[in-house]
Amino acid sequence: MKKIINKPEDYVNEMLEGLYAAHPDLITYTNDDLRCLVTAKKKAGKVGIATGGGSGHLPLFLGYVGEGMLDGCSVGDVFQSPSAEQMAAVTREIDDGAGVLYIYGNYNGDIFNFDMAAEMVDFEDDIRVESVVAGEDVASAAPGAPGEKNTRRGVAGIIFVYKCAGAAAAAMLDLDNVKRVAEKAAANVRTMGVALTPCTVPRVGEPGFSIGDDEMEIGMGIHGEAGIRRGKLEPADQIVDEMLDKIVADLPYAAGDEVAVLINGLGATPLDEQYIVTRRVDQYLKEKGIRVHRYYVGEYATALEMAGFSISLLKLDDELKTYLDAPARTPFFVA
Amino acid sequence: MKAEDLKGLFRKLSEVMEENRKYLIKLDSVVGDGDLGLTMGDGFLAAYEAVASTGESDIGKLLYGAGKAMSVAVPSTMGTLMASGWMQAGKALKGSTEIGEEGMADIFAAYLDGVANRGKAKVGDKTFLDGLAPAVEAMKRSVEEKKSGREMAEAAYEAAKQGFQNTTTMVAVHGRAATRGEASRELEDPGAAVAMLMMQAYRDWA
Repeated sequence: MKKIINKPEDYVNEMLEGLYAAHPDLITYTNDDLRCLVTAKKKAGKVGIATGGGSGHLPLFLGYVGEGMLDGCSVGDVFQSPSAEQMAAVTREIDDGAGVLYIYGNYNGDIFNFDMAAEMVDFEDDIRVESVVAGEDVASAAPGAPGEKNTRRGVAGIIFVYKCAGAAAAAMLDLDNVKRVAEKAAANVRTMGVALTPCTVPRVGEPGFSIGDDEMEIGMGIHGEAGIRRGKLEPADQIVDEMLDKIVADLPYAAGDEVAVLINGLGATPLDEQYIVTRRVDQYLKEKGIRVHRYYVGEYATALEMAGFSISLLKLDDELKTYLDAPARTPFFVA
Repeated sequence: MKAEDLKGLFRKLSEVMEENRKYLIKLDSVVGDGDLGLTMGDGFLAAYEAVASTGESDIGKLLYGAGKAMSVAVPSTMGTLMASGWMQAGKALKGSTEIGEEGMADIFAAYLDGVANRGKAKVGDKTFLDGLAPAVEAMKRSVEEKKSGREMAEAAYEAAKQGFQNTTTMVAVHGRAATRGEASRELEDPGAAVAMLMMQAYRDWA
């Protein structure tokens, strides 16, 4: 293991101390717990939006707390869910009478804890909570039939859900409508990733899996979950085409559609390479007649030092476009 | 039995999970990430510490507090499921300060509901439920037949053990084991093993 850390067991808390030092104007914490992060810009009477999940994915999840996006976030150990107590503490702090919306990724540990937290604050504090679970990784499972449980993993595309729901809440929509906007965004986003190297959880000390020097794994998840195909590394254009074929066919995205595009580095892939990817994505979408409203390129949801990237598309309508373009200011996202 | 008497049950649960750390790690390493022995050892210890340190006389509140302590100590998937079981049992028994054998059956029946509601699994899905559900059935029968507390606990343990062994006839539909499909059938389910160990602790305590 080669990391710039002190002690592995201090990894999460020291990362958090650094974040609070750098962004005192935007974020603080509640309950005397560094892992219960809340906005420093609380807005009266607004629906609160909370997320949460394991550490190791910065800027996800906590990096989107501030103004115009999220109001709170609980974080767990690397790749581990925070506790329901921590989620409940964040919920109590950010509720201002209008209720709270939970937006989080589709992982059992997170689902069980957020459900428990929602029951706790309902039972103990009479706070109304609604939840939207993001699961948009097309490589992780077949699409669920209508009415069936979505078993897809939530990955980078959740940022679009945060942004649209956050702007809707900032526009003082009520809880039901903020939830409706979040659900619309979640229903219209699709993501797929590719990994070139594994990642190492600090307290474990060695990678949980390996990928050969000349190999890639298409569809791998952000904790190293198995993808759909492992093979020899190919030129960027070929990789992008394979991923976009799957993404575009899935929703499907069609000629005339307008989309926002997120090219997301997984932690160890240089921006240069991300823009080489962006070049091909742009060519591909033009060929299909899909219009791009806006690109986001950079690290938005990482997997420690994993090399690779993901592509997310969000199909837009006028409402989502308005909320996507609305102002926001967080440690990692300014619009 | 009063709230004070139940503290012994939590101590026994914690001891049994501690003794079986390695056993659970080994079972879980076949399909999962192998941390089940750690989370169950830590989780049941946290539950015991919470009940040991309180003077609470309301059995429901005692159980709810045990669940909350567990959820804080081990917010993993299995930890949260077990915590949900205690919290549901706490809600079901709220207001009770003294219970009989029927009350013990109610506690584990509510525990089963709490886990099932949180995890959205069904009996037969090769999970914890396949260990605890037969035990709860056995306890209900014992209550109907007016068996002694000791007989009821023995029957619950035997049923849980049988239920655990039966998981080798089931295909996993939840968690990482599910990705193996038919190949998961021959494996013993670590969750059902936890249910068996809980019933072992209950029998040893009763």
